[in-house]
Amino acid sequence: MPTLTIDNQTVIVAEGGSVLDAAIALGIVVPHYCYHPALGAVGACRQCAVTILEGSQKGLKMACLIPAEDDMQVSTCEEEAVAFRAQVGEWLMTNHPHDCPVCDEGGECQLQEMTIGAGHGIRRYRGNKRTYLNQDLGPFVAQEMNRCIQCYRCVRTYKDYCGGEDFGVMGSQQRVFFGRFKDGPLESDFSGNLIDFCPTGVFTDRTNRFRTRSWDLQQAPSICPHCSLGCSILPGGRYQELQRVRAGGNRLTNDSFICDRARFGSDWNNHPKRPREARISGEKVEFPYALELLEERLEKLVEEYGGETLRLLGSPRASFEANLLLKKLAEKYGAPAPYYDAHPRRAFAARMAASIPSGQLASLKQLRESDLILLVGVDPLAEAPVLALALRQAARAGARIVALDPRPLELPCDFEHHPLTQESLLRGLSAPEENELLESLRQQLETSQRPVLVGGGELLGGEGLRLLLHFSESCCGSHDCLIFPVLHGPNSFGGGILGATGDSNRNLIEDLENGNVRALICVETDPAIEHSEPGRMQLALSRLELLAVFDHLPTNTVATADIFLPTRTIYECAGTFINNEGRMQAFDPVLEPGIPIVVTGSGGHPPRQFETTPPGSAPRSAVHLLQWLLKDRNDLFGLRRQIIKELPCLRDLDRLAAGDNGRRIADCGDTLEESRTEIWAQEGELQVLPITARYGSDLYSRWSQSLTSRFEEPSVWIHPVEAAERGFVNGQKVVLRTVVGHFHLPLVFKAKMARGRLIVPCLPGTPLEVFTPGGLSLPCKIYSEVDNA
Amino acid sequence: MPEWMVILLLIVAKLGLIFMVLLTLAAYLVLAERKILGRIQLRPGPNRVGPFGLMQPLADVIKLLTKEDFIPTQADKWLFLLAPGLAAVTALLTFAVVPFGPPITLFGHEVPLVVCDLNIGVLFFLGLSSLAVYGMTLGGWASNSKYSLLGAIRGLSQLISYELSMGLALVPVVMLARSFSLTDIVMAQADVPFALVNPLAFLIFLISAVAESKRIPFDLPEAENELVGGFHTEYSGMRFGLFFVGEYINLIILGSMLTVFFLGGWMGPFLPGVVWFSIKVLFVCFFFIWVRGTLPRLRYDQLMHFGWKILLPLSLLNVILTGAFLLWRQG
Amino acid sequence: MSIWRDIKGTIEPFWITLRNMFRPVVTVEYPEVRTELAPRYRGRLILTRDPDGQERCVACYLCSAACPVDCISMQATEAEDGRRYAAWFRINFSRCIFCGLCTEACPTMAIQVTGFFEMANRNPLETVWEKEELLVDHCGQEPDYNFYHHAGIGVAAARGENPGEDKPVDVKDLMP
Repeated sequence: MPTLTIDNQTVIVAEGGSVLDAAIALGIVVPHYCYHPALGAVGACRQCAVTILEGSQKGLKMACLIPAEDDMQVSTCEEEAVAFRAQVGEWLMTNHPHDCPVCDEGGECQLQEMTIGAGHGIRRYRGNKRTYLNQDLGPFVAQEMNRCIQCYRCVRTYKDYCGGEDFGVMGSQQRVFFGRFKDGPLESDFSGNLIDFCPTGVFTDRTNRFRTRSWDLQQAPSICPHCSLGCSILPGGRYQELQRVRAGGNRLTNDSFICDRARFGSDWNNHPKRPREARISGEKVEFPYALELLEERLEKLVEEYGGETLRLLGSPRASFEANLLLKKLAEKYGAPAPYYDAHPRRAFAARMAASIPSGQLASLKQLRESDLILLVGVDPLAEAPVLALALRQAARAGARIVALDPRPLELPCDFEHHPLTQESLLRGLSAPEENELLESLRQQLETSQRPVLVGGGELLGGEGLRLLLHFSESCCGSHDCLIFPVLHGPNSFGGGILGATGDSNRNLIEDLENGNVRALICVETDPAIEHSEPGRMQLALSRLELLAVFDHLPTNTVATADIFLPTRTIYECAGTFINNEGRMQAFDPVLEPGIPIVVTGSGGHPPRQFETTPPGSAPRSAVHLLQWLLKDRNDLFGLRRQIIKELPCLRDLDRLAAGDNGRRIADCGDTLEESRTEIWAQEGELQVLPITARYGSDLYSRWSQSLTSRFEEPSVWIHPVEAAERGFVNGQKVVLRTVVGHFHLPLVFKAKMARGRLIVPCLPGTPLEVFTPGGLSLPCKIYSEVDNA
Repeated sequence: MPEWMVILLLIVAKLGLIFMVLLTLAAYLVLAERKILGRIQLRPGPNRVGPFGLMQPLADVIKLLTKEDFIPTQADKWLFLLAPGLAAVTALLTFAVVPFGPPITLFGHEVPLVVCDLNIGVLFFLGLSSLAVYGMTLGGWASNSKYSLLGAIRGLSQLISYELSMGLALVPVVMLARSFSLTDIVMAQADVPFALVNPLAFLIFLISAVAESKRIPFDLPEAENELVGGFHTEYSGMRFGLFFVGEYINLIILGSMLTVFFLGGWMGPFLPGVVWFSIKVLFVCFFFIWVRGTLPRLRYDQLMHFGWKILLPLSLLNVILTGAFLLWRQG
Repeated sequence: MSIWRDIKGTIEPFWITLRNMFRPVVTVEYPEVRTELAPRYRGRLILTRDPDGQERCVACYLCSAACPVDCISMQATEAEDGRRYAAWFRINFSRCIFCGLCTEACPTMAIQVTGFFEMANRNPLETVWEKEELLVDHCGQEPDYNFYHHAGIGVAAARGENPGEDKPVDVKDLMP
C-alpha cells in the first residue's frame, strides 16, 4: 500500500493504484477523459498531466500512467503542468460544436467539467471546425460525432470490455471516427454502456432523448428487477415518469456495466395501461374500501371454512419484506405456508440454490477472476446478461470457458460449446463418472485454481442444481469449487430461503384443482403467465371464490381478479432483494407513484387545474398492504429487525443501505437433500424446449415499449442435420404440434444447438406466449405446412 | 328650565364635546403622523382617500370595524376581551382633570373648562397612567403568545421604571405651585412657565412622557421587527383599534399634561385660553411625531440603564435642588 | 467628550428631519404619472424568435435551473429536423421575482425581459403564462443571433455548412 504526498496531502492507495487514483481519493481534481476505474488507463487524452517532484520518474507525467510509489511527492499546481493541461483542454475543444444547450449530456458531461477544470474557458482558435456525418445506431443509442474528443473510451467499452464486434474506430489523423462500418442498430446486448462511458455527448440515450437534465432527475440507488443477478442501477425519474436507468457501481456484482434490457427496459413503470386504481370485480373503487372488503371477506372465509382453504402466492418480483409478510399472513389466518413462485420447477430450483452453503456461492467478481468456468444449462445473454460480461472478463484474463447447453449459445468471448440436450445433461450429472465429457471436465476442474460452476435453474431445475452441487463436491477436493446458480427473478433466492421450511411436495395447481381451496392472494405475480401450464392455471383460477391480486403490471389476472389492489413498483418503494449468490441488496424509492405528466397533459401543457384525488388513493407498496392486513406498524427498519430475529442467517439485513455493495447471507441451514423425480425424455424422441428469449420473456421487458424493437420474430429452431433428415429447408413454414396447441412458424437452422430437439423462444404478443420457460421439454410433432393440410 | 338641569346639560355638553374633540383629534393625529412621517421621508403620505387624504381616518375605522374579530383558541378569553377597553378607558379618564381654558360664563353660569377640578389632580393623573399599564399587560398575557407576553413584560418594566422619574419630575412643579390641583398649577405659571423655571424637570418629564407613550424611541413593547406586534400581536379588528386609539389619546393626554405642568397651560397673550392650550398641545403632539421620525429605537438594556441610572438620580437631585432653592428664596 | 458628542448626535437628527419636511416629495404617483423605465428594466419575460423566424428556445432547462424561485418549467422535445424545442413552456408569474437570472443563463438569447410590468391579476391562474402567450414574433434584443449557426450539429444548416466549419470528413479516406 504505497503512501504518497499530493499537493502536501498524504494519501495511501491500494497496491497497483496510479497517481490519478490517489488524487481522486484525495478529492483533488485532475482532469482526465480516457481513464475510467473499470477500464483502466491508456494515457491517450494527455489531460491528466501532473508534476512528479520526488519518485523514480520525475517531471511532467500523465498521472493515470504513473504507479503510486512510497514517499512520492506530486504537485498538481506547478505552472508547467497547469499550462500543459490548459493547452490540452484547448486543443480538445478546437473542433467541439459548442452545442451544450441541445446536448443531452449537458449537466453531467465530463468534458464540460474537465475543460473548466483544466482552465480553458474562451475559444481562441479561429480555424475551421472539423465535422462528421453521424450514423444511425438503432433505437437505443444516438450518435453526434462532432462532439468527439477521440479518447477511445467507447471502443474500449464496446469492443474490449463488452465484446461487441460491430463497432470500432475508423479513419486516420483528423478523420478518426468511432462507429459501425455501416449504419444500423448496434448488435451488442450491452450497447447502452457507451452512453455511460462516453465522457462527452457523442453517445446519448435515444429512448430518453431531450427529455430531461440530470439536475432535474429524482434519482436513488436501486436494483435491477430484470434477472436474478441484482445489478446495481441508478434510475432517474421526473414528472412522475421513470425516464432513464444508468448503471450503478457495485464492484462485487456488475461493476459499472449493465445490459440493454436493464437500461432500456424500465418504461413498464410508465405503461399507459398500468393499473393504478383498486378494483372489485373489474369496477374501480376507492382504495380503502377495497382493502377493508378484502379483510372482511378473508375473515369470513376463514371463519366459515377454515384457514386451509386459503392459499397465498408470493413472487420473485416482490421484495423480500413483502414475501416474508405473506408468510406471517398465512400464520395469522392459519393457511398453509405460501408459495413463492407459481412455477413449481423454478421454485424448487430457488429453494435448492438457497440451501447451497454460502461459502460455496460465487459472486460475479469471483467469476471475473476465475480461471475455469463451466456453464451448465445456462444461456447468459438470455437469462443473466451481465454474467456474459463477467465471462468475457475472465476469458480476457486467460480463463477457459466451457458450456454444456442444448441452445445455440452466443457469448462475447471464446468458449467451448458442447450442445447436449436437457435430458442428457441431467442424466450426465446424475452419473458423471459414466459420462466421458463430464469425467474429463472433472479432471480439469480438479487441476484449476479458481474454478466456478455456473448452473442455470431454468434448464436444470432444482434437481439438476442438486446434482451439480454433488458434482462440484466430487471434483473439487483440495480447494473450493464455487457454484453460481442462475435463477429466474430478482428475489428468487429470497423466496427460496422462505420456502425452505414449507412442505415442498405441494403443488399450487393441484391444490387449486382439488377444490379445497376457495381463496388465493397473489402478490406481484401472475400465475396464469408464470406457471408452466398457463391454460390449466387459468381454468383453476376461474374456479376460485376469491382471487385477490396485488400487482402493478397490466396482466390478465389483474383484469379478472375479484379484488385488485395496485402496488408500487420497485422504483416507488424501498425494500430488499436477495440475488442469485445470496447477496442482500436494498433499493430506495426513486419516484412518488402517480400518473406521469406526459399522460395527464397528453403531451402538451400539464393541466392547469389540479385534480384532487382522495388521500390514500395512490398505490401503496405490497409491504404496506400486507402490514395493513397484519396490523403491523413497523417501519421498514423495524420490519428488518424483526426478520433478523426470525431468520438469523439474514443478520446483516438491518445494516443495508441502498447503493452499497450489499451483504451476503450466512448459511441458512443444511443443504436441501430432498430430490424430486422428474421424468426425463429419452434421446431420439422429438421434443420441443421452450427457452427464455433475450428480450421479452421476463415480465418486465414484456411491458417495456422501448424494448419491443429488439423482440425476435417467432420461429422454431432446429439443427440443420436434423432438418435435412426430415427434408426441411431453412426458413420454411412449419406446423408445430404440442400439448399446448399447434403453431405455424418459420423454421430457423441453428448449427450450434443440440440435435434431436426443437427450440422455441417464448415471446409475448405472439402465439408462443403460451410457453413458459423453466420446464422440461415437451413432446411434439412437426410438419411442413403442406403436409399438415 | 330648572337651574340644576341647566348645570347638568352644560356638564353633559362639555363631556360630549371633550369626547368628540378627543376622539376626532386622535383619529386625525393618526393621519397627521402618517403625513408628517411621509414628509420626513420625502413621500406625500396618504393622499388617496378624499382631498389630501382627509377621509383616511374614516376609511381606517371602517376597515377596522369590518375586520374579523379573532380570538386565539388558547387565549384567556375574558381578559383578552377586556384589555383593549382598559387601555382606551384609562387614557380617556385622565382628561377629567385637565383644565383646557379659563372658566367661561354661559347662561349666567360660570363654567370651569375642566371636567372636574380635583385638588389631587396630579395624583389622579399618576394613578391613571399607572393603571394604563394593565391594559397592555393583561392584553399581552391573555393572548397566550410568546411575542405578546414578551411585549407585555417589556412594557410593564419600562412603564414602572419611567413612572418613577416622571412622578419625581412633578415634585418640583408641585413644590413651586404649592398645589396638587392642575388649575392651580396653571395659575401659578401666569408669569413664567415652569419649563423656564425648572428646565431639568421639564426635560425629565418630557423624556418620561415619551417613554410612557410607548412610542419610538421607547416602543420596545411593540418593537415590530423583533416581536411581530408586541403585546397586540394577536389582536385584530376593532380590538386592535382600541389599543391604537388608546395610544393616540394617550399622546394627547401627555401633550396636555406637558402643557399644564410646564408650558403654562392656557396662559398666553392675545388669543383666547382654549386656543393657546390647543396650540401648545398640538405642538407637543407634533414634537412626539417628529421624535418618531428622527430617533431609532433604544436597546432594551440601554432603556433600563437610562431610566434607573440617569433619569432617576437626576430627578431626585432636582427635587433637592428645587427645595434648596425655595428655602433660599424664602430666606 | 463623548457626552457632548452624544447630545449633539441626538439633537442633530432633529434638524435633518425638520429640513426634510420642507423638501419636495420624490414619490411618482404611479397610475397618473408614469415613470420612465431604465433601458435595461426587467419586466415580463418573453420568448423570442431567431432571424429565420424559428423559435429560439431549445428547452435546455438552464433558465429553470437558474431560476431562484423555480417559476419556470418546461418539457423539451425533438422536431423532425432534429431541432430541439419546448413541447410546453410555462412561467408562473405569480412566483417570478423578475431577477433576470433566466435571461443571463439563456444560451440562445431566447428568453428576454421586457419593459412590461402591469400583470397584477385577481386570478392567480391567469398569472401562469404558457408558451403560446410568451412567444413573440420578433428577435428582441440581439436581432442577428441564431444559435444553430454557431452550434454545428446540422440543424439550421446542413452539417459542415455553418460559418467556420469544414465539410464533413470522409472517414474511409486514408490519404494523408
